[in-house]
Amino acid sequence: MKSIGLIAGKEGGDLLLSLRGLGWLLTMAAVLSAFGLLLVSDTELSLLDNAQVVYDMGGIVTALGALLAVVVGTDAVAGERERGTLVSLLLAPTSRNSILLGKLGGQAIAWGIMYAIALPYFWAVGSTGQNLADGAISVALLGTPVVFGFGFLAMGLGARLDSVRSSLLTGLVVLLLSASPLLLGPSLRQSAIGRGFDAINPFSSALNGYDAVIIDSQTIVAQMPRLAITLVWLTITLWFASRSFRRISR
Amino acid sequence: MSLRIIFFAGALLLISGSAWAAPLSVGLAAAKSNPIAPQMGDRISFHSVIRNDATVPLDGLIAWISLVQVNEGREQPVDLEDWSAHKAVTAASLSPGATLETDWPVRLIQAGAYRVVVSAVTRGGADLTASPLVGFMVLQKPVVESRRVLPIAVGIPLLLLGLILSRRLRGR
Repeated sequence: MKSIGLIAGKEGGDLLLSLRGLGWLLTMAAVLSAFGLLLVSDTELSLLDNAQVVYDMGGIVTALGALLAVVVGTDAVAGERERGTLVSLLLAPTSRNSILLGKLGGQAIAWGIMYAIALPYFWAVGSTGQNLADGAISVALLGTPVVFGFGFLAMGLGARLDSVRSSLLTGLVVLLLSASPLLLGPSLRQSAIGRGFDAINPFSSALNGYDAVIIDSQTIVAQMPRLAITLVWLTITLWFASRSFRRISR
Repeated sequence: MSLRIIFFAGALLLISGSAWAAPLSVGLAAAKSNPIAPQMGDRISFHSVIRNDATVPLDGLIAWISLVQVNEGREQPVDLEDWSAHKAVTAASLSPGATLETDWPVRLIQAGAYRVVVSAVTRGGADLTASPLVGFMVLQKPVVESRRVLPIAVGIPLLLLGLILSRRLRGR
């Protein structure tokens, strides 16, 4: 347990204190700022558009969080291997699962910081609209398993693939595919293939949950089936990461 | 020529006479509880009274609410989907002299000047009966305020940039 905390603290500290980690956070904040500034010039937003803005912000925060998780997760395994620091970590007197969970702790800190940075943006664009608090809670509830799942996926890919580049690229392609509902219009998602994809895609579940809570004013409790899909995703990626991490020999 | 005018005037009287004898009358008024200066997000209500002025029952009554925006250059009918979940009312039959009173709740979505009207038809009737128009103004409510967005959108990246610069300076 202590080793998990130590690894998580080191990973989280890297993000908070290193120039590279701060650079990632700055990039995330810049994207959210750009979105917010785009809205300022629009004086014709109706009340429902305001809810739409909060929903969009929730989707963007989740996508950025998942992107950060892919980058941090890839760096945590494949990056350490390329830098030659992974072997010494594997030789430490602790189990592979403890190392994996410690790495997840680092990701949790990264997502927590990302979410904390996003909260003022939520307030800035959505405080005059509806369901802001419920929207922020739903992003935490439904977005967290999605983000952690992508972190596990990236760690698993980093353990299985030979280079940072290939594992990062694979993780990004999966993320792009999964986050495609952010770009697709509702009509495309209503097709048979779109509905089938929505039913199994954790990202879609999170987005549909945000839509239901923020725009349709449904309760968070009513989103439990959607939460279940994101938890299934988290479980599968945890299993994949755990199996892949055990196979690392160098 | 004068005979033609008399004949035309007589025909007009006959037509307007049939209109006066319309079997339905529809009254519409804004609810007293409505805010004096409603703004986006407020909920207001209208009250309609549909009366059967005929001597026979009227079957298959349908009444519905319509909304038009009348701002200069933006005149358009408004899709009520987001504004109201209560867009129509029906009655199987309305006895002579009976009335159907209905409240029409509306949520104000967009700023502007509007006119609302309730229209009614019956299964056997050939004419549409409309209420008088009731006008109202919806005041703009700032939904995304620059005074809130700008400090956050500029301040947070600057804060992170400051952290990066301080790390760099400390590293030297």
